[in-house]
Amino acid sequence: MTDDNSRPLIQMVKVDKFFGSFQALRNIDLEVQKGERIVICGPSGSGKSTLIRCINRLEKHNAGEIIIDGIELTDKVEDIDAVRREVGMVFQNFNLFPHMTIVKNLMIAQQLVRKTSKDESRKLAMRYLERVKIPEQADKYPIQLSGGQQQRVAIARALCMEPEIILFDEPTSALDPEMINEVLDVMVDLAKEGMTMICVTHEMGFARSVADRIIFMDEGEIVEQAEPAAFFDNPKSERTRAFLDQILSH
Amino acid sequence: MSFDLNLILDSLPKMLAGFGVTLQLLVVSGLLGLILAILLLLMRLSGKFYLDWVAQVYIYIFRGTPILVQIFIIYYGLPQFEAVRDSVFWSILREPTGCAILALTLNTGAYVSEILRGGVLGVDKGLLEAGSALGMSARQKFIYITTPLATRLALPAYSNDVISLLKSTALASTITITDMTGIARTIVADTYAPYEVFISLAIVYMIFTFGIQKLFGVFERYLGRYARREE
Amino acid sequence: MEVLTGWWDDYLWGAVIVAKVFAASLLLMVLFGLIGAAAKLSDNRVAQKIANGYTVIFRGTPEILVILLLYFGSAIVLTAIAQVFDPDIRFVDVPPFWAGTIAIALIVGSYATETFRGAFLGVKPGSIEAARALGMSPLQTFIYIRIPEMWRIALPPFGNHMLSLVKDTALISIIGLNETLFVAKQAITVTGKPFTMYIVVGIIYLGFSSLITLSVMGIEKFGNRTTVGAR
Repeated sequence: MTDDNSRPLIQMVKVDKFFGSFQALRNIDLEVQKGERIVICGPSGSGKSTLIRCINRLEKHNAGEIIIDGIELTDKVEDIDAVRREVGMVFQNFNLFPHMTIVKNLMIAQQLVRKTSKDESRKLAMRYLERVKIPEQADKYPIQLSGGQQQRVAIARALCMEPEIILFDEPTSALDPEMINEVLDVMVDLAKEGMTMICVTHEMGFARSVADRIIFMDEGEIVEQAEPAAFFDNPKSERTRAFLDQILSH
Repeated sequence: MSFDLNLILDSLPKMLAGFGVTLQLLVVSGLLGLILAILLLLMRLSGKFYLDWVAQVYIYIFRGTPILVQIFIIYYGLPQFEAVRDSVFWSILREPTGCAILALTLNTGAYVSEILRGGVLGVDKGLLEAGSALGMSARQKFIYITTPLATRLALPAYSNDVISLLKSTALASTITITDMTGIARTIVADTYAPYEVFISLAIVYMIFTFGIQKLFGVFERYLGRYARREE
Repeated sequence: MEVLTGWWDDYLWGAVIVAKVFAASLLLMVLFGLIGAAAKLSDNRVAQKIANGYTVIFRGTPEILVILLLYFGSAIVLTAIAQVFDPDIRFVDVPPFWAGTIAIALIVGSYATETFRGAFLGVKPGSIEAARALGMSPLQTFIYIRIPEMWRIALPPFGNHMLSLVKDTALISIIGLNETLFVAKQAITVTGKPFTMYIVVGIIYLGFSSLITLSVMGIEKFGNRTTVGAR
């Protein structure tokens, strides 16, 4: 899509976001290049989820600009639609449509949004189900799958739209410990293939091995961003150090 | 005082002759009421304050007054105005059946729209966000996500309202309609045997209610097939 | 509006009767509901069966049938008894006020039975276990944990039951209770203005409904002060 390779895929400039009088994002500046893998971490309530939800406009920012692949996010519906076609999202609670079978979950948006034919969308759905290693579950309903399987389906559903970027909003937080790895494995594979990814997660092992850049947020601000080695071994900010001490102390 | 079995055997077929009228009142006003309810629901969800407000006032009035009063206002009250008697609706409003269907429709529409709204509000917000993230439009989300899930959520309450509607059809007997209750009241006036007649009629209504419950139960199981873990 | 002159007093007394029936039937309804719920939750099979029968019958039968049956049915019994002492007596009835009050209390009580039962079962076992683990006695647990939690679950449907009661008073006019609908009928025979007279009835009932809705909303706000704003 991008003809100009130097232009960042995501550009956030001085973004503020309020919930009533509570300021969730303060003066966020962020650029993400094509193919970059970003991990965002921080204490709960620090604005991590709000930040990525602004990128596909599930939340509306109050000030600043957000430009995705050259399209600025405003109230214009066509622009929002165009951005959402390029940005996939995976949620903490999977959010699979409970009344549709797995394969139908993967087909519905292809048919409605990309106007793909039924056969074509089924073919693509099956291909991605194979990639997340559960093609045999295609005709079941979400409730019949384990949490880890459901999250893999959710990733496949996002991939079916062939997005430029995938946002992960704490994708393993709702999972039982023994299911976390099967989901992380799929995410690692995606990273290896060069997908542009932004992950809000507390999985520091994943962050260290996969991320190009780790962003630490607190109280709505980006406090620090660095490559994994620098981030973990030599954090600059006191707040980052305190946070890392807390989550790595066990 | 004794229970006269012959009287029951004699009057039951007479009352059942009114079954068709009761069924007609139920089905016609049930369907029209559902359409009205959907209309009111869309008004409430439209985001336009004047449509929302009109629907709210309507619902408030029809849920806040007795259905019997509504029936009387329509059947006895409206002909007070010459404009009504001269209008094209007079052919409907002149007939007690037309009036009863109109009153039942207006009444059940108000209740059902609130039931449907409860279903819509009960749909998990995360699913709609997933729809947005996949690029679905507001209309597509409403059709493919909200509607099927809200239908399933609203169904138990809706089936209760259909049963309420069935019970309300009995009030048609107060404006001379010969539904099952109307016939029963005539028989009681003649024979003066309220126990035999009213109790056997009550049993007929209970069987009817039971049938409605079973029917909705089947429908509920069908719509809820995705909510069961086992095949 | 001048057609209403002279009728205001009658409407006022009609409204007083509505209020009286409401108050009396509310007490009875709560009583029936609590007894029904207790029976359904008890280990006694017979009590469970009776309570189940009670709810099936009164939820499946049209209100008007219950009222007619209770009124004419009790009149037959009373007349039969009276005739033992004085064969010349033609008709003795239970006052419509009481026949009607008991009838609507029985009907709405059957719905309240399910509400109370659900509320009792809806209290999280965790809260009760926690209270017991903290050393509270069963009685203390009941008073300080169970009752307040039940109350919060039961209040919204209970508000609807109160609305049903007040609207069902209109049905008692059918057996001759001189409430507002009955007043309107008399006024119409004199003035020939059915619409005006019935609209007044509608407004009076809307007033009662609003009063109940507002009180329930107030109580709910008060009762939910522990759950709202705690985010």
